Amino acid sequence: MNRLYNSLEPRVMDDDMLKLAVGEQGPQEEAGLLARQEGILFKDVLSLQLDFQNILRIDNLWQFENLRKLQLDNNVIERIEGLEKLTHLVWLDLSFNNIEAIEGLDTLVNLEDLSLFNNRISKIDSLDALVKLQVLSLGNNHIGNMMNIIYLRQFKNLRALSLSGNPIAEAEDYNMFILAYLPDLVYLDSRHIDDHMKGLAELKHQFSIDELKHRENLIQARLEDEQARREELEEHKAAFVEHLNGPFLFDSMYAEDVEGNKLACLHGAGELLEAYKDKFVVICVNIFEYGLKQQEKRKVELDTFNECVQEAIQENQGQGKRRIAEFEEKHLLSLSAIRDESELSNLEKKIVECSKDISELFNTLMTLEMQLVEQLEETINMFERNIIDLVGLFIENVQSLMAQCRDLENHHHEKLLEIAISALEKMVKGELEEDLPDEVRALFVDKDTVVNAVGSSHDIHLLKIDNREDELVTRVNSWCTHLVDKIHKDEIMRNRRRVKEINQYIDHMQNELDNLECSDIID
Amino acid sequence: MEVLKEEEEGKEAAKQEAAAEPAAEPTAEPSEEGEMMQPQEVGRRGTIMTQEMLRDLEKKLLGIEITVPEKPSIITKDTIDISKLPCSYQSNTPEEEHLLEVADNFSRQYSHLCPDRVPLFLYPLNECEVPKFVSTTIRPTLMPYPELYNWDGCAQFVSDFLSMEPLPDPLKPALWEKEEAPPKKYAVRPPRDLTSRFEQEQERKRQEKIKAEEERRQREEEERLQEVDSTGTDPLHGLRVHSWVLVLSGKREVPESFFIDPFTARSYSPQDEHFLGIESLWNHKNYWINMQDCWNCCKDLIFDLGDPVKWEYLLLGTDKPRLSLVDEEDDTLSEDYDIENLGKEDEDKCFDMPHSWVEQLEISPEVFETRCPNGKKVIQYKKAKLEKWAPYLNSNGLVCCLSTYKDPECTKILEVKEWYQNREDMLELRHINKDTGLIVDYFKPGHPQALRVHSYTSMQPEMDRVMEFYKTVRVDGLIRREETPKTMTEYYERRPDFLSYRHVNFGPRVKKITMNSTESNPRTVLKITERFFRNPAKPADEDVAERVFLIMEERIQLRYHCRENHITASKREFLRRTEVDSKGNKIIMTPDMCSSFEVEPSEHTKKLLYQYETMMQLKKEEKLCRHQAWESELEVLEILKLREEEEEAHTLTISIYDTKRNEKSKEYREARERVMHEEHLQQVEAQLDYLAPFLAQLPPGEKLTRWQAVHVKEECLSDFKQRLIDKANLIQARFEKETQELQKKQQWYQENQVTLTAEDEDLYLSYCSQAMFRIRILEQRLNRHKEMAPLKYMALEEKLCKDPRLAELLKSFV
Repeated sequence: MNRLYNSLEPRVMDDDMLKLAVGEQGPQEEAGLLARQEGILFKDVLSLQLDFQNILRIDNLWQFENLRKLQLDNNVIERIEGLEKLTHLVWLDLSFNNIEAIEGLDTLVNLEDLSLFNNRISKIDSLDALVKLQVLSLGNNHIGNMMNIIYLRQFKNLRALSLSGNPIAEAEDYNMFILAYLPDLVYLDSRHIDDHMKGLAELKHQFSIDELKHRENLIQARLEDEQARREELEEHKAAFVEHLNGPFLFDSMYAEDVEGNKLACLHGAGELLEAYKDKFVVICVNIFEYGLKQQEKRKVELDTFNECVQEAIQENQGQGKRRIAEFEEKHLLSLSAIRDESELSNLEKKIVECSKDISELFNTLMTLEMQLVEQLEETINMFERNIIDLVGLFIENVQSLMAQCRDLENHHHEKLLEIAISALEKMVKGELEEDLPDEVRALFVDKDTVVNAVGSSHDIHLLKIDNREDELVTRVNSWCTHLVDKIHKDEIMRNRRRVKEINQYIDHMQNELDNLECSDIID
Repeated sequence: MEVLKEEEEGKEAAKQEAAAEPAAEPTAEPSEEGEMMQPQEVGRRGTIMTQEMLRDLEKKLLGIEITVPEKPSIITKDTIDISKLPCSYQSNTPEEEHLLEVADNFSRQYSHLCPDRVPLFLYPLNECEVPKFVSTTIRPTLMPYPELYNWDGCAQFVSDFLSMEPLPDPLKPALWEKEEAPPKKYAVRPPRDLTSRFEQEQERKRQEKIKAEEERRQREEEERLQEVDSTGTDPLHGLRVHSWVLVLSGKREVPESFFIDPFTARSYSPQDEHFLGIESLWNHKNYWINMQDCWNCCKDLIFDLGDPVKWEYLLLGTDKPRLSLVDEEDDTLSEDYDIENLGKEDEDKCFDMPHSWVEQLEISPEVFETRCPNGKKVIQYKKAKLEKWAPYLNSNGLVCCLSTYKDPECTKILEVKEWYQNREDMLELRHINKDTGLIVDYFKPGHPQALRVHSYTSMQPEMDRVMEFYKTVRVDGLIRREETPKTMTEYYERRPDFLSYRHVNFGPRVKKITMNSTESNPRTVLKITERFFRNPAKPADEDVAERVFLIMEERIQLRYHCRENHITASKREFLRRTEVDSKGNKIIMTPDMCSSFEVEPSEHTKKLLYQYETMMQLKKEEKLCRHQAWESELEVLEILKLREEEEEAHTLTISIYDTKRNEKSKEYREARERVMHEEHLQQVEAQLDYLAPFLAQLPPGEKLTRWQAVHVKEECLSDFKQRLIDKANLIQARFEKETQELQKKQQWYQENQVTLTAEDEDLYLSYCSQAMFRIRILEQRLNRHKEMAPLKYMALEEKLCKDPRLAELLKSFV
């Protein structure tokens, strides 16, 4: 395959090799001189060509973070590796190598053009991450199964494909099959596809393609459904009332409650349980709806707050920008005046004036910033109070609703106890007509056991309710604290950034003036 | 014209003062607007009326100095050819005579009962000096123009026709006021105001003082002016009687009654204090006298013409006006009912208003378009003059011109506004300020250079001028270009390179000794400033907001866009002074050639390589910019040239639907009409009954016998044969005559050939060729006739055989 392969030793991709290549391929002439003076950092390189180097292993490329185009063709590479850091890569040429499997491309999400021509690949896969893929060259490989084409259907941007020189290209149906299954393709094996052929191919394979499409649509729909459900659940979670819009909580109460389930078999307990469930679910739904409403309220509150804060910041920034623009206008004039000034005393006076202007600007900008800090602090405090109030109200109301749940539970417990005791009495008297399972019958040995069973069921229920309530309260509280903390932190960060920015600017201005002074004095 | 002027004078006086004396006499039109009077009619009636009034007014007016400047009369008084008017104009029918008697009786009773009131205006003389009752001068007509369907459009047309001042639409839409947004919940408090209240107060007081002083001065000035204006109050106040149109509420969704001033097309509420009172009302059906007291002007008048206590009618119950009663309460309704019953009872006795003697009213589209008499109209305002022309009357498309003056005598022009229509260069309005010499041209969309506004003082290039363009039309996104002698500023929008502004400073022209002086010699460019909109695809630090090329200093300044949440922006300045260092080596790039301030310093941009590449790029772009500036200059020259040419040609466009003016459309229309006409003729011919003359000879009503049928057929055919022969003979005769004449001429020529002048010879030759042509044509016609005659004969025979009147009889005969 590669004539040089036998005659030459495989080379290692070392620093020298890369440096040489970068130097040769970098800027030329005057710019090249500069580049050589300064040296080129690998991370600034956008395009690298490493063909005919007899490379066996891809290595040492991690520094080329911003590389857009990489040519590694005509080497003796056996594995695709060491490209993980090159996430900006758009164009990758690995043709004329000894690669046997497609791999190691999972991070190259920006790749548009991939050439694997003349390798030993027998299966098309591991390309899932390459969503932007437009051109794929896989000619002269060992691909023998036509089903590999179907894998390529997921690349919506794929326009050019070359597969000639593979076993599948020998097949009689090769062209038609590809055209039918990849209808968006424009070039196949470097030839433009004409619409007539495409139509024929579609007709020929219509049936199987329709079936395939139907399957794909089904999968797509299922994925979308799942997505929608997930989003809904996320929304409910954000309102802290997930799984309250139905009998989930109630069901979970009975999920681990062995005794409760046993007791439900008693005469009258079933109906009681049904009635209890209905009422319970109504309250749960109430909590759920209330939670969503409250979430909406909190969101509105937060949005208003953010909007107002942004407005205030924008307004303040606008003022700052205006001040700076005014200053710069004046400053430019005074700088050129200083440059033109010949008399030393005047010069000094002007320089002093100029630096006075600069410090005045500094004061103005800092005052503005201090003003903003004060304004925002007040607003943030107000928001904090309001949001805490809102959360407090929410918790209070949820707790009262939960208390209703507990009352229901207590009520149910009493009723159940009555039924159980009466059942026990009946059993003692031997009047019980019903046919009870043995394990239920085992509960009715004496009064204590029955009362204990009912009590333990009750305890489990109460525990579940308490847990749900606790969960809700903790989460909403922590959300609130986090939010407030974040707002405070953001504001502090903003303030620091601004102060830094102002200082930096003022320093620059002052330096500029000083430099001017120096050069003038030297002159 | 004089009459109109005086009436206007009186009206103005009436407007200025308002006293409670009932004197006005509006023409009432309690009919729907659709039945408006025809404008010519109004004009005529107005004239007549004022002639009547003139007699007693004239004496009083003679004693008054009129300070109105003499305005040029553009309407020549129509000289009416009485003889051409129909007889209804020249005489009265018996009904009209009867009506006049009734009116005379009514008038006498009235003057007896109300001796204090102005005599009634009942039967003025018309243009033929014939007395006509006022109501019969009105002929309700529905005009085919949608503009005339509603009162405002109609009144506007009438006022235009009467050459009086037009008015802007009285129903101007209310200005949209921006609603102040309610303060938001978390809106930050405004920063504390630390400025001294006291100082502000002092400053405010000082300003107020100055302002008060100014106001006082202004007021004094105004008072002085007013004094000058209103010298002499109107001694005739309340004595004049005017004619107005009153539209009563009710029909066509008129919510309340109002007056229309026919001269201004303005509507007035009856509550308006300019109306001192109403003497009488009339429409085409009846005449009413106001019996209500007008002490409070017209404010308390009730326009219920069915109430005989408030309105004394002339004719009983022709048509009960019950307009105002539609929505009234029950009691009035019942009252009305009574009146109606009364009317029905008296139906036999009552006398109907005769039909109008006025001719059917017609406004041709031309007259309607022309609007004003002769298509021209001049209105003199105080310190302003408005001239109007009909479209296409002026060759440059001028339709309206408003001149404002500095002084009341109208000698010093302040500014002139000229409106144009149908201009091919889309010029719509030209605004000339005589003080500053500034001319502003406004264009409608469609100018070849997409011009929208062009303001200039002179058409010379490199002077102060502003051009604005229609932004969606220009490919380069230019919307505005301002020029001064030394600068040019361009504003752009929606460009792919986000350029928004380019400012070029020019230096003096370098004197070049070039061989060909026609080559353009552009001015040197000193400085180019370009600004860009934010390009959202680039990070702010790489997106240039402004770049300045100081070409003389070889300095390039860049200012980048401001990052979000930042107030400072990165800056970079390139300066390239020396190409060669002290040792003679070429300097490529040194750190001092680029000074930059970066908001977020990055290693990448500190590199000389980066700076060098940026600078090279900028150098390239500098060249491009200079080229652009040069191209802009060229474009200005081109536009100016084009404008001059357009101004020179001032061609007007004519819509293809305008078949009167558009030559092509006209030809087409005429051709079509001709074709239609011919087709029509052919149809008539086709229907020609050949048998009619022969059948007429037979006794009518009897059925044809077979013999008669054959006879008729024979006769018809022989007649036709004779005609064919006659025609052939006629052609033959003409042919022979022409030939003979030609021979004679030829003979004459041969005889006199020697003495003939060249001119005569030419004449002879042209005669010969023409004669030959005629002869040839006649020959052809003769031949054709010979060919066609038998065919035609056969065709007729066949046709006669198939004629339903003869077919039966002839068939059996054959």
